[in-house]
Parts: sequence; C-alpha cells; structure tokens
Amino acid sequence: MITGMDRLVAAINGEKSDRIPVFCNLLDQGARELGMSPKEYFSKGRHVAEGQLRMREKYGYDNVWSLFYVGKEAELLGCRKILYAEDGPPNVADFVIKDYDDIANLEIPDDISASPAFSEERECLRILRAEVGGRYPICAYITATMGLPALLMGMEKWMELLFLGPAGVRDELLGKCHEFFVKEMRAYRDAGADVLLYSDPFGSTDTVPMSFFTKHALPWTVKDIEAVGSQGIVYYSAGSRFNRVIDTVLQKTGIGAFYISPLDDITEAKTIVDGRALTCGVINDIKLIDWSADEIRDEVRRLIGAGMPGGRFLFGTLVMPLAIPEASIRTMLEAAYEFGSWGRDEG
Amino acid sequence: MTDEITIEETIKGYNEAIFDTDRDRALEVVHEALASGMTPEDIVFKVVLPAMDQMIRAISETLDANLAQQYITAQIADSVVTEMIPKFKQAPHVAGHVVIGSAEGDLHSLGKRIVIGCLRARMIEVTDLGVNVSPETFVDEALAHDASVIGISAMMAHTARGPNGSLGVRRILKERGLEDRIKIVVGGAPYRFDDELYKTVQADAWAEDGVTAGGVIARLTEGVRT
Repeated sequence: MITGMDRLVAAINGEKSDRIPVFCNLLDQGARELGMSPKEYFSKGRHVAEGQLRMREKYGYDNVWSLFYVGKEAELLGCRKILYAEDGPPNVADFVIKDYDDIANLEIPDDISASPAFSEERECLRILRAEVGGRYPICAYITATMGLPALLMGMEKWMELLFLGPAGVRDELLGKCHEFFVKEMRAYRDAGADVLLYSDPFGSTDTVPMSFFTKHALPWTVKDIEAVGSQGIVYYSAGSRFNRVIDTVLQKTGIGAFYISPLDDITEAKTIVDGRALTCGVINDIKLIDWSADEIRDEVRRLIGAGMPGGRFLFGTLVMPLAIPEASIRTMLEAAYEFGSWGRDEG
Repeated sequence: MTDEITIEETIKGYNEAIFDTDRDRALEVVHEALASGMTPEDIVFKVVLPAMDQMIRAISETLDANLAQQYITAQIADSVVTEMIPKFKQAPHVAGHVVIGSAEGDLHSLGKRIVIGCLRARMIEVTDLGVNVSPETFVDEALAHDASVIGISAMMAHTARGPNGSLGVRRILKERGLEDRIKIVVGGAPYRFDDELYKTVQADAWAEDGVTAGGVIARLTEGVRT
C-alpha cells in the first residue's frame, strides 16, 4: 500500500507515485471529531493525536499535525492565558512581553523537550510516531526568529519595536528568539516530527518592503536555517505572498519546499522554483466555506493543472476554518485525489 | 530656492522615506520644510495626505505596498498632523467621528492601529474601543460619540463571520432603527481572501488594508453627514 510518506518522498525526488501528496490541515476540527470542547481537547496530547489520526483515516489525506494551536509557542515562553472559542482557534490572551523590561527578563528554557509546557506536545508526537511514523509525514509548526516576537508581544507592539524602537532592545529580543527557535526545532525533531513548517510573516513582501526583507529578515532566515539545517523544512509566510523572495531564499538557505500563498500565482512560483525544490500549491480555504461543489472542483483542477506538470508538486490547504462544511472538505480532497493522479493524461 | 520647489522636494523626500519605512527621515523632511518656511497647512494637505493617497493608488494599481509601509505611513501621518494642527492659522474642520475596534473574540490590533492613524490624519475623530469588543459596545459607543461609522477589524474567519462580529452589530442597528445613521466598515485577513465576504457579514463596505480603509471610512463618513 502506498503511504503518504511514499507520495511525499516521490514528489520531493521528482518521481511519480500514484498521485501527488495532499496535505489537509485540520486542527480545530479534532475537538468536534472527539465530541469535546476545544479547551478539553487541547488540554491533552493524546486527544490531539487521536483527533489527527481519526481525521486522516476518515478523509485519506497524507499528513498529520503535532500543532495544537499557534499560541503554544508563547506558552513555552511563559504565556499562561489562552482565549478559547467554540468556533475557531485558541488565541494568546496575555502577552509575555508587556514592556521592554520584560525582554531583558525573558528566559529561554535550556531544554524545550523537558519543559512542562511541552509535555503534552511530546505525548502527542509520541503517539503519532507510534501509530503512523514513517508512513505519514508528521508536521510541526515552528515560528521563525523574526515572527516569534509577534506571539510574545502582539504584532502591533512588535512592529513598533521593529521599525520605531531602540535597535539594541530589538536585537536582544531577536537574539533570544533565535536561541528559542534552535532549541524548539531540536525538540520537535527529537520527538519525531518530519515536516517542519518554518513560518515567517516577515518573509513576505506583503509584510515588509523588499529592501527590509533583504537587509533584516533574510539574514535571520539564513541564520536560523544554518543553525538547524534545511532537512524537512518548509518555507511558509502565514498565508502571505512570497513569490518575489523564493529564488533568494532557495539560494541562500537550501530550503527544499515552499508553501505558496493562495494569493500568489502558482504557475509563477513553479517557474521560479524551477525544479530545485518542492512547490506546494495552496487552496484559498476561506473561500471553501461558501463555494459550491462545482466551484471547489474547478479551483482544485485549476491549481493542480498549474502546479502538477513537471512534478515536484504538493496540493495543500492553509489552516482550515471550522466553518467549512464536511461535505466541502470531502469534495476538495476527492478532487485533489482525482486531478492529482499520475494515471491521468498529464502522467 | 522657491516655495514650489521646496514642496516638490519635500513630497519626494517624504514619500521615499515612507516607502523605505524610515520614520526618522520622514520627520526630518517635515521639520526641514517647516524650518524653511512651508506652512503647517501645506505640510498636512500637500505632503502627508497625498502620500497616503499615493499609497492607496500603489496598492490598488501595483499591489506593491506592504503592511510595514502602511504602518509607518499611518504612524508618521498621525504624529505629523498632531504636531501641525496646533500651528494651523484656523482650527481645522472635524470631518466626522468613528468608533473602531476588533471583533469579539479577536485580540489582533495592528490593522486597527493603522486605520486609526490614517483617520486622525484626515481630521476624523476616532474612538478606539480596543480588542475583543462586543456588538453592543460598538453600537453603544457609536451613539455615545455620535459616530457615523463603526469600524470592525477581524483577523480570523470565525471572528469575521461569527454572530458577534459585524453580523451582531448589524442586528442591533436594525433593532434600534439606526441603519441610516451608522454605517459598518470591516477589514482584516479573511476579507482579503474573500472580497465578497463583507456582504455575507452585512457590512456596508470593506477595505483590503489599513491605509485604504482610512479613505473608505472618510468617504463613508462624508456620505452619512451629507
């Protein structure tokens, strides 16, 4: 039986499996799957692992997640207040850094793996590894050095410090975030994560000008990747566009996969990547909430038609909103399996 | 050097600084212009506000403007206008009042801050209701401040579409017969991914980004007043 890992490895190597790999990122849906409130569901790693395994089995896509919610990283650094919602993802409700003095006092744990805040993620990864390790890629979400301060102090305050604040304070915070990034990456790899989503909102020209990217964001990306190696890393910019920086990032870091924004042109991305890495074509999952079955099929066909020729292509989603009907998730996935099959004409 | 040339040079220097996200340089340009005799009124109306409009054009025509530039534009515009207004020969006409906040359950604040900076620069009074704002608070505060526009920021699908965001505000405006008096403008990431979403949530208008939102709200404010 061909597994999700077989499909992913084939795509990375520019070879053909039965079909292209399909990544479907269902996170909050796990609570409904297990009939729990989000707060109860996210309180235990075994719940999240069970939710991930059940949903992958139910829909047949190719990946599972160790990510609970993005704010988990802030919890590893001391955040103790999370706002839960019944109809959406949990959010950081109390920032670790409230003023610049908190930056000086911010302590990075020596061993993230041993941190109590990591224990449930470690348990989730243990179960996933035992159940599907080596057969289905286990994904982890790791915020880049430059993006992490937004989780610790809010995007507004981080922008203020980054562009208008004292450079010494900014650099001190970035240095600590880099230290955390390196340790966190090690913890996830040690715990069995194979696919490491490197999330950097500042790696997008939707967020910063190209001049700022080149002068400030890129050096931190290079430093991050040099410190941990590019194995398994996927470049992602929280849904923002980054076609304009792909070539530079590829050359400077050797990152082997790019998770393109739904707002970017997939044909253009594929041309820029030019067979040097895996291109991940991503559907606009906000639209999935309202699209008809025909609209979903048309969009999946369009995306795969643009990205699949020449291989080294993966079909994926962003973080799927809870409001997407189950029938629409199935329609999207069935279309992806159908149009992404190498047995079709384009094979 | 004539005044006309000074204005052109000031505009050029200010715009370059904005696009390079260099606040210190932008403020330097403004202060040099003031020292050389340019009036505070010209600095606001011929330099700062046109720079915001230019950014809106850049966004709509070339998609070549980004969050950082918008943030810097808004912050600088706000601070320059705040500094210049006391120097005006006549107090400027207040163009309206807006209440703004992030939808209930939403703790994101950056987009809102950009919009606030742009609105203040346009002489529109703004009451910032903060984050995680209930629909009732939006409407009560709009009435308390005689605001003609409620701005609702939402960065997540569920806070944009849920019953306690724009839909909740619309429900209350209807119940209280306030729909002619108060308009709803929405913005935030989900709206960028679905440009028809503002209709689904029964808003009167939306904007793709904070700087454009300043312009949209300013026009809507004018429309309600007249």
